[in-house]
Amino acid sequence: MTWFLVRRIGQSVAVIIGVMILTFILVHLEPGSTARAVLGLKATPAKVAIFDNTYGLNRPLPVQFWLYCVHVLHGNFGISYVAGQPVSTLIAQRLPRDAVLLGLSTLLALIIGIPMGLYQAIHHGTVRDDVIAGTWFTLYSAPDFMEALLLIAVFSVHFHLLQPNFPGGITSVGGLFSDPNALILPVIVLAINSVAGYSQYMRSSAIEELAQEYIRTARAKGLGERLIIIRHLLRNALLPIITILGLSLPDIVAGAVIAEAIFNFPGMGLLFWQSALAHDFPVMLGATLIIGVATVVGNLAADIAYGVLDPRIRHAV
Amino acid sequence: MRRTHRLAAAAAALALTTLVAACAVGGGGTIGGGSAVKGQKMKGGTVTIAEVGASPNDIFPMLPATNSNGYNGVLTLGLWPPLVYSGDGAKSAPNPQENLYSSLKYSDGDKVITIDLKPWKWSDGEPITSRDFTFVYNLLKANYNDWFDYVAGLFPVDVAKVSTPNAHTVVLDLTRSYNPTFYTDNVLATIPLLPQHAWDKTSASGKVGNYDETKAGAKAVWNFLQGQGTKMGTFATNPLWQVVDGPWKLAAFQSSGYYAWVPNKSYSGPDKPVLNKVIWTPFTTDTSEMDTLRSGTSLDLAQVPLNDVRQIPALKSEGYSVAQVPAPGVAEILPNFYAPVAGMLLRQLYIRQAMEYLINRKQIVQKAFAGYADPGNGPVPTIYGQQWDSPLEKAGGPYQYSPAKAIALLKAHGWKVVPGGTDTCTKPGTAADECGAGITAGEPLTFQLLFASGTESFDEQNAAVQSSESLGGIKITLKSEPFNTLVSTTGTCNAQSHPASICNDWQIQQYGYNEYLMDPSGAGQFNTDANGNYGGYSSPEMDKLINATEYGSSNAAFFAYEDYAAKQLPLLWLPNESTVFVYKSNLAGVTPLNPFSGLYNPEVWYYTKPAS
Repeated sequence: MTWFLVRRIGQSVAVIIGVMILTFILVHLEPGSTARAVLGLKATPAKVAIFDNTYGLNRPLPVQFWLYCVHVLHGNFGISYVAGQPVSTLIAQRLPRDAVLLGLSTLLALIIGIPMGLYQAIHHGTVRDDVIAGTWFTLYSAPDFMEALLLIAVFSVHFHLLQPNFPGGITSVGGLFSDPNALILPVIVLAINSVAGYSQYMRSSAIEELAQEYIRTARAKGLGERLIIIRHLLRNALLPIITILGLSLPDIVAGAVIAEAIFNFPGMGLLFWQSALAHDFPVMLGATLIIGVATVVGNLAADIAYGVLDPRIRHAV
Repeated sequence: MRRTHRLAAAAAALALTTLVAACAVGGGGTIGGGSAVKGQKMKGGTVTIAEVGASPNDIFPMLPATNSNGYNGVLTLGLWPPLVYSGDGAKSAPNPQENLYSSLKYSDGDKVITIDLKPWKWSDGEPITSRDFTFVYNLLKANYNDWFDYVAGLFPVDVAKVSTPNAHTVVLDLTRSYNPTFYTDNVLATIPLLPQHAWDKTSASGKVGNYDETKAGAKAVWNFLQGQGTKMGTFATNPLWQVVDGPWKLAAFQSSGYYAWVPNKSYSGPDKPVLNKVIWTPFTTDTSEMDTLRSGTSLDLAQVPLNDVRQIPALKSEGYSVAQVPAPGVAEILPNFYAPVAGMLLRQLYIRQAMEYLINRKQIVQKAFAGYADPGNGPVPTIYGQQWDSPLEKAGGPYQYSPAKAIALLKAHGWKVVPGGTDTCTKPGTAADECGAGITAGEPLTFQLLFASGTESFDEQNAAVQSSESLGGIKITLKSEPFNTLVSTTGTCNAQSHPASICNDWQIQQYGYNEYLMDPSGAGQFNTDANGNYGGYSSPEMDKLINATEYGSSNAAFFAYEDYAAKQLPLLWLPNESTVFVYKSNLAGVTPLNPFSGLYNPEVWYYTKPAS
């Protein structure tokens, strides 16, 4: 297991370095003048020169990459051209809030999706199975902006029951809970799209497990159906969900740009989107690197969790 | 760009697009007029203003060259207003109530300006003096290259000497004569006064001195203040920023863009705030702002995107009134006179005239901008009023929509006109009835219109232009790009930059509008090699007329320039969309909004309660 971990961590570091190099090259392939994109049409040649000098854009590309690496090693990822703040500060303001929002929606999706998938597996092939799957797939295939706007129209505009978005002053994780009413709609909208995925993975996995010999053996031994499901089926059927959860870590880090836009939630998704439009390279690079790290860590965590939960894998390693 | 860049006005511009149209909306509320709120005036209260995409990030009122964020101007305008306060309500004139001077006289052939400051005080009780002006001057003189609002050749490099005969008088000796209106409206209006007695220091713990009096000292002070100005976490607590001369003080600031003003209790001006607090709350998108408005929550003033004007009746039923404000600027299709092939076509005045005749501006105002736009008759929008808007422009401009006139012009210059198709040149040559220099036989009359994506009204406008141009056989293909990409990939093209690859990739483009300050001068936009003359238009006659408006003293000079520009079409004129706002109906004093100074003057706002 130790050698496995060392190897996986080594691979992860290599992947992260590769992400840094690749994204740096890609953003610098973007055509046009960064200074003009940031300063606007009225940028005089003198102002462009000052801008380029301030941010090192007039230096050779390898030197710029080296400076980027230095910023990364110092943990600040450079200074945003647009916000004038360290990229690390911008990310630190948004990432925890995204993690809470997307964490809550993932939790809600799991709470609904796992029992739902289990229920469908047990009633596999029945009308109930089809109705539930059809319902969730309908919601899954509906664009989330449409779901968001519909829910706002009904619960905020028509009935005035729920807040349509977050107050503009929220800058901390604690601030999210100062007005829990504002959390309800975004959490629901984000959960809707995940429930279908989780429930169908759970359903498939559980159907597969139900056909296994150990389930038949348990039944033959006279174990109660509830005990079989909870003690034996659930644990084994959850393994694919663990993988999906691990792989969804980058989604949490990357934010949810549409939900952020509609619910006035300045998170990582909008930060990345706006920085891409504004040619704010340090933010683009910083956000991409964080997402890359989250992807690698999520994969690693899934592998480790798999090993912990499934002795066959652990022993095989 | 020769013209100054005023960040407060730019912030207004960020949110909107342009022009006036005194029309009624939905349920019939009048637009843009004075506030018609009736009832008893109430003291106190809080106003919450929605700002979409607002993210101020620097509080020092003179931004460095690398910071183009117009929202900083809105943040600081109420704290440190400029010497000359732009906009008297909706009028393009200095605001006598808010100006920091009591008199401003030009003498010696308009080369000397004598400024008498009002006997006002800073919020800490210290008097505002001429030393505060010299402090600003010294800082800018040593650092003008790092000042975003610096315009080549203007303040402070055009000042030969500053003298202060007494504590309230400043005398500026300029290096040349200027038109007083131009200089007051477009130069002095960009300069705030700063508290020398509190800010003339080089470190937070250092003592205040006269460091600004040497170049090295002025640079050190500038660097210190610039550094402090970017520390967003201390905007509301740093003692530096608590010394203000405007009607407001900053009470709260969050990096999200949320901030709050409270009254400066020591404000010396006559318009003392009645409200207890003004809150600026940020929204990520128009959608989230509109959802909040429709859900009846606590917003007191917000912009309504033109795409959502159909919701105005519903908002009225929620207790809002409606106002619109034009953007002080000119919208256009920008021709690239140095584009390969297309540049040769665009240099022909008759082709530009034909293209302008084929733009149905009235239809665009109604269909693309829902009636909220200036007609775009020429270089000066109607908002500027009688003083600036020439009779020709008021009458609709020289080129009102007429496909017949466009076709006649093209035929008269040797083109085979194919309405709905593509015209071709049949008579190459330079005679009066031939296509013109550089245009070959069989040359098609076709252009690619590059425009900024993401704005539905622009999409509709450009589709309309494409359609109406085809009536004269001028084929327009459309290509859209995100605004920043468009800006970064299309540089200024003129005789100096040509040939440059950045000039080869665009022929005509539309990106929004060019903003003006109080004086809608063409300086910086249409004179040869001006920084804002992106397409490379050049005409000695235009240069002469513009110089007369900037440096001469004749009031007639402006109309002469304006009419010449309107006819010569350095740009193809387009309607310029206005911004539509809603505000709580019991909030008085909001209108007319001031398009020249960040739109809002909450020091004159107050709530009313219904008369019993």
